Amino acid sequence: MGLTNPATEYRGADSGTTVTSVSPNWVTTRLDFLTNWARSNSLWPMPFGTACCAIEYMATAASRFDIARFGMERQSFSPRQADVLICAGRLPFKLAPVIRRIWDQMPQPKWSISMGACASTGGIFDNYSMVQGIDTIIPVDVYVPGCPPRPEGLIYGIRLLQKKIMGESIDNDMLREEHPVGPSGLFLPAERVDELSEPFGNSVSQTRST
Amino acid sequence: MTARAPVLSPSVTPLRAEFGAAITRHVVSCGDTIVHVDRERAHDVLAWLKDAPGQEFNYLTDITAVEYRDPERPLQVVWQLRSLGRKADLRVKVELDQAGPLEVRSVWDLWRGADWLEREVYDMFGIVFAGHPDLRRILMWETYAEGYPLRKNFPLRGHFSRSEQTRQALAANPEAHYSLEELSIAEAYQELPADMRARLARGERGFLK
Repeated sequence: MGLTNPATEYRGADSGTTVTSVSPNWVTTRLDFLTNWARSNSLWPMPFGTACCAIEYMATAASRFDIARFGMERQSFSPRQADVLICAGRLPFKLAPVIRRIWDQMPQPKWSISMGACASTGGIFDNYSMVQGIDTIIPVDVYVPGCPPRPEGLIYGIRLLQKKIMGESIDNDMLREEHPVGPSGLFLPAERVDELSEPFGNSVSQTRST
Repeated sequence: MTARAPVLSPSVTPLRAEFGAAITRHVVSCGDTIVHVDRERAHDVLAWLKDAPGQEFNYLTDITAVEYRDPERPLQVVWQLRSLGRKADLRVKVELDQAGPLEVRSVWDLWRGADWLEREVYDMFGIVFAGHPDLRRILMWETYAEGYPLRKNFPLRGHFSRSEQTRQALAANPEAHYSLEELSIAEAYQELPADMRARLARGERGFLK
């Protein structure tokens, strides 16, 4: 599986002989595998750090944990040269159009990681000012739980995303087709947004007065 | 650590001598002196506290407001003053009746630092500071339509449904958060609410010092 160099693959298979009829300068592979291999190992992250998760993100990028080991060498502070948007921290409604615009500016193919409880669900901030999960604003590939997640947690999420990318195929429609639903400007149906934003845990006992 | 002794601020006696009945009452709480002032004279009192010899409260620590759970009790606007030279503090409060207009005079002309503090109180409580050069929301976005979040009649999750909140948030122009001066030359000009465009057309906030 994967990248195969026949020149090395067959060497020693038959003891004492070396296959010399093939050149060591070419390999065989599937196109899907090659593109996915290249993409998943050169993910350029666009850090969208809004809170304490961004501190853990910085630790992840720094020398001790060093996500450059996984091909995320370059932090892309321009969305136009980024592959994966990492939302590290809570997202207030005031920033919702900002992250949406950044996401729209990123070229296809693109992925996103929701880092931490607040980005994934709103976390403890079940109030008037906070988006209850960034999946109501942009599509999310990997949710990393934690408050904040440790760097190991984020790295695990990145590895999951790489695994997901390795499973993609040109046959499948891996380019995201996103259009607002109706004239509302929302990217999900309104009832789906309400469903995703439902209170849970302790906050269910606090009713919404109308 | 022992509790601070209830020491009355030495500013209270000269304040009462200067303003008489405009000082409605004063209390000492946790070692801090709180002076309640008549709404109409609040600006005069604060100006006097800033400039009078022996007072010189030249630093405005904070402006905030208080609403109590009891709907009968008035709202309070709080100015926390500090004299950097004398190392002294004083808290001044004005009570605003819930039924009356929630309006006090701005102290932006005394302390420039009041600019954003008054905008925050306006944003969160809806209290209008007359004479403020650029009174608009500072934490919530300009077109925020749900009301004033720190008022007691404001539900924790806001008035609108989550989908409506998300829709309105996505409809906001992310570039529409600049000062009036910047906005008058920005592409976002047409996105502004009509009243802001009118204020821009009037040339409000025409100067910086």
